Amino acid sequence: MTPFVPPPGLSCGGSCHEDKARTPTMIPGKYRTNPGRITQSNVNCGLHLVIQTSSVPEKSKFELRLSKDSSFHNRLLQHDIEKNYSSRQGDGRVISPSPRNKPSFVPSTTNMTDLCGLELKSGANSLSAFGDSSIQTPTKSRIRQGCHSAGPNVSGDHVYLGSSSMPAFPVLHRSNEEKILYSDRLTLERQKLTVCPVIDGEEHLRLLNFQHNFITRIQNISNLQNLIFLDLYDNQIEEISGLSTLRSLRVLLLGKNRIKKISNLDNLKSLDVLDLHGNQISKIENVSHLCDLRVLNLARNFLNDVDDLNGLSSLTELNLRHNQITSVRDVDNLPCLQRLFLSYNSISCFEDILCLADSTSLSDITLDGNPIAQESWYKHTILQHMMQLRQLDMKRITEEERRMASIVARKEEEKKRESHKQTLIKEKKRLTICNVARKWDMQQNRVAGGPSSSQDGKDSDVPSQDACQMNGSGTCVYPEETGSLDPVITTALQGLAVIENHLVEVDGDTLFLYGSGALESLDRNWSVQTAGLVTTVSFTFIEFDEIVQVLPKLKIKFPNSLHLKFKETNLVMLQQFNALAQLRRIDQLTIDPQGNPVVNFTLWKYYVLFRLSHFSMQKINGTEVTQNDMIMAERLFGILAHVASSELPQYRLLSLLGEVRKKQFRYLLEGKGKKSGGVSEEGNDSKRLCGENTNRATLNYTTRDFYTEKLEEIKEKKKFCKTYIQDLVKEAAEINMKNESLQKLWPQLFIELVRDAVVEIRNKNSYMKLCLQRITDTK
Amino acid sequence: MLSPDRLALPDYEYLAQRHVLTYMEDAVSQLLENREDITQYGIARFFTEYFNSVCQGTHILFREFSFIQATPHNRASFLRAFWRCFRTVGKNGDLLTMKEYHCLLQLLCPDFPLELTQKAARIVLMDDAMDCLMSFSDFLFAFQIQFYYSEFLESVAAIYQDLLTGKNPNTVIVPTSSSGQHRQRPALSETSALEGVEASLFYQCLENLCDRHKYSCPPPALVKEVLSNVQRLTFYGFLVALSKHHGINQALGALPDKGDLMHDPAMDEELERLMAQVPGLLTTTTSGTESGCPRTSPRLGSPWRPLHHPRKVDAESDGSTEETEESET
Repeated sequence: MTPFVPPPGLSCGGSCHEDKARTPTMIPGKYRTNPGRITQSNVNCGLHLVIQTSSVPEKSKFELRLSKDSSFHNRLLQHDIEKNYSSRQGDGRVISPSPRNKPSFVPSTTNMTDLCGLELKSGANSLSAFGDSSIQTPTKSRIRQGCHSAGPNVSGDHVYLGSSSMPAFPVLHRSNEEKILYSDRLTLERQKLTVCPVIDGEEHLRLLNFQHNFITRIQNISNLQNLIFLDLYDNQIEEISGLSTLRSLRVLLLGKNRIKKISNLDNLKSLDVLDLHGNQISKIENVSHLCDLRVLNLARNFLNDVDDLNGLSSLTELNLRHNQITSVRDVDNLPCLQRLFLSYNSISCFEDILCLADSTSLSDITLDGNPIAQESWYKHTILQHMMQLRQLDMKRITEEERRMASIVARKEEEKKRESHKQTLIKEKKRLTICNVARKWDMQQNRVAGGPSSSQDGKDSDVPSQDACQMNGSGTCVYPEETGSLDPVITTALQGLAVIENHLVEVDGDTLFLYGSGALESLDRNWSVQTAGLVTTVSFTFIEFDEIVQVLPKLKIKFPNSLHLKFKETNLVMLQQFNALAQLRRIDQLTIDPQGNPVVNFTLWKYYVLFRLSHFSMQKINGTEVTQNDMIMAERLFGILAHVASSELPQYRLLSLLGEVRKKQFRYLLEGKGKKSGGVSEEGNDSKRLCGENTNRATLNYTTRDFYTEKLEEIKEKKKFCKTYIQDLVKEAAEINMKNESLQKLWPQLFIELVRDAVVEIRNKNSYMKLCLQRITDTK
Repeated sequence: MLSPDRLALPDYEYLAQRHVLTYMEDAVSQLLENREDITQYGIARFFTEYFNSVCQGTHILFREFSFIQATPHNRASFLRAFWRCFRTVGKNGDLLTMKEYHCLLQLLCPDFPLELTQKAARIVLMDDAMDCLMSFSDFLFAFQIQFYYSEFLESVAAIYQDLLTGKNPNTVIVPTSSSGQHRQRPALSETSALEGVEASLFYQCLENLCDRHKYSCPPPALVKEVLSNVQRLTFYGFLVALSKHHGINQALGALPDKGDLMHDPAMDEELERLMAQVPGLLTTTTSGTESGCPRTSPRLGSPWRPLHHPRKVDAESDGSTEETEESET
């Protein structure tokens, strides 16, 4: 809020007070024949401010006086003061004498604020008077000395409004004295004129004042071709007209009229100041030819948008206060614009006035009274984007503020970058998961369509098709999402040409693993803290068989993992759950039906409970496990366990149990062997230690690969055994055959032997002789 | 095992035909596989255990499919083991899908082929609607026929196809492994007005087949009985009839009659004992000591048909005492 605006209660000068702004001061110096000073006096205290210019080439001095009894009303005093002071701080010229000097016009704010204080202090108790006071219109030097007494105040007595030959219009005549005294000016304010009078013999008039009349139409002044200054403030003019011959006009004041449209200014090419405040204009138009225009006042009109400001190449000040403007564009096309007043409009977001940031010349902006000014970020955003700004909302911008703004902006930037980074990470994660899912699908289709029989293929196609659809729709959604992303992120994403095939993420107490590659992360050295925190492990898009292989690692690296989640892991068989029994402990198990057909079975939950009964699980797929569930599980599968453990031959039992179990088991056997009969205490203890029911331990799971490997091995062995047994059996059969033939031969052989013996001993004497002979022979 | 046939064949062939060689081979390969464990308690002990378990039919538990289907005895043992282990599932009244039954089969035999289960399910569900639910007994009996007589049924399928297409069945060369190419044809024939083939003609062919068939086939007399009840029948109609014929079930001898299917008092007793442990898993140890009681159940009787309650090797039981006794004998 500008300090120059009087409190509403005190401003009796009318609501459009401030909007009349600085127009009186804007009279080009050229037309002040006496280069001089602007003297400004406070009405009440008679303060006389003299602005001394020193750096102007023309060495011009302007003097502006405020006179209490000046009939010139000064509704817009504060603006004028502001104007003057800012000017003084610059190069000392309120208005540069010629357009060529404009670039050197740099207003400053410091002293203006000082002045404000001064002004308010001095005039605090008399603002009402202030409102009535008027600024003396700049005059030529030769009337300067007469300012106070005579001034431009033309009373009715001095003017004779004689009836002219034309009945409709009064004809104005001035006395010669008057004419000589004010040869180039004529003031006809508050004359209750309804029409413009015919002004005869005053062709040299340069300044004409019709303030506060009831004129509805601009007429009868086309002969005043030397007119430079035309003031029609506070009349009832509805259309701009009758000005086409006034080619020298530099200042046109049409404030507080009923003009709806800016028009008919085509010939006023030298126009320097155009005041249209307090009218009903809804569009800025037909001004693009006014290349000398420096001040345009459109305050208190009905403007909604500021647009199409091309051609106003000299415009330094634009007043747009009290409109309904929501957006400002094109301001960066005004190369000389220094002051822009946008107070009391409907601007609500910075994007709507973004063009202000592109203007290099703007040094003074007001935006107070807009919704945007209520925002917390308002000031620093404006300051950050408009480094050239010297004054915002009538307050000089200090270095401190600028620094603060840049700090805040930097923080904001950092925050943005951080969130950008976050988004990027998220997006990358999403893409990676998407990629993993695609790979998974491909893999699944290949597996399904591959070695399985036609029937098998048909059946297993169903889930994989589902998966495809799911992911298909997913990929349809993704591009849209990317479309809505920040373009910066999108470009950054394009940089991520190489997308990972797996994803490992620790989020709170959950370890997420996507894609089989992620399992390798279990080899990583996890910090003790992280590892300790993880209680939930989620597997997605990983073959269950692959997970089985890392379960021992999982057990070691994440000893606290109590909750396992499986999604898209190809769990198809009940026996796969056997593999989970080797873990230390599981409280919860979540098997997502997606990609895990086993969940469609009615028995799967019971089997899990049965097989993993040693974990005393709390929840399966989010449902509490009840006692009844446990009983049911036992009822369904108890016999299986019993059969498995009690009916297997011991050698099989040993081979089915793992190495560790084997030891325990052997220990048990030995223990029992010693203490035949009762069950040894240690046996029970160790059993309790091992946790798992031994009768269940035989139900284990070997992954498909391992199993086929094993089968290969068995096949080899079988082959060997087959030949071995074949040989053995053949040999045995041969022996058997020999034996049998021997058996067959033996009786005959025996008979023959006996017969031979009998024949030999039949002749006793000869046999005796023979025997004796043998004995003597041996001796 | 000794039979008069023995003398009619050379020893080796005899042993092979009687699958003795199969078991010997398997015993040796098992010995090789577990030689570290086995050497600790003696090779003689191992062979004793092995052949005991073969007799009891527990040797097929968790074995590879190639072994399970190697002999009729193994098949029957497997059927019986399946029945015993999952009888409770049927008793619970759950109707399951083919896939779920397959999973149960895989619990006993990890590499059990899906194809066999599917074929069995097809007998129950009549070709289409493979995702329907089946009762335990329906599945089990269909599965029995399909599994036990699988080679025979393939030959029958071939004969059936030939009959359908009007070939002289007597000239049929029985293909045992070409069932795949016959599969497409039923669709053609099913549309014909007269479904199936004439029963008597079909029987002649089958009789012929049984004579020649080297794999096990149902007793021809019973097949005749099945076929004599109808004029014409389809292939699946034949299979359904086979699976429902209690005589064939008896002849096969692996499963009890349909009425007694859910009846297995000894196992129920065992289950009760197990159930008692469930509510408080912590109290397992105390109940474990009581486990000696079921040992009184019959162990004698016919080699593998009765319900066996042999030694309990499970840590809960004190069965190891008996174990040692056995090894000494």
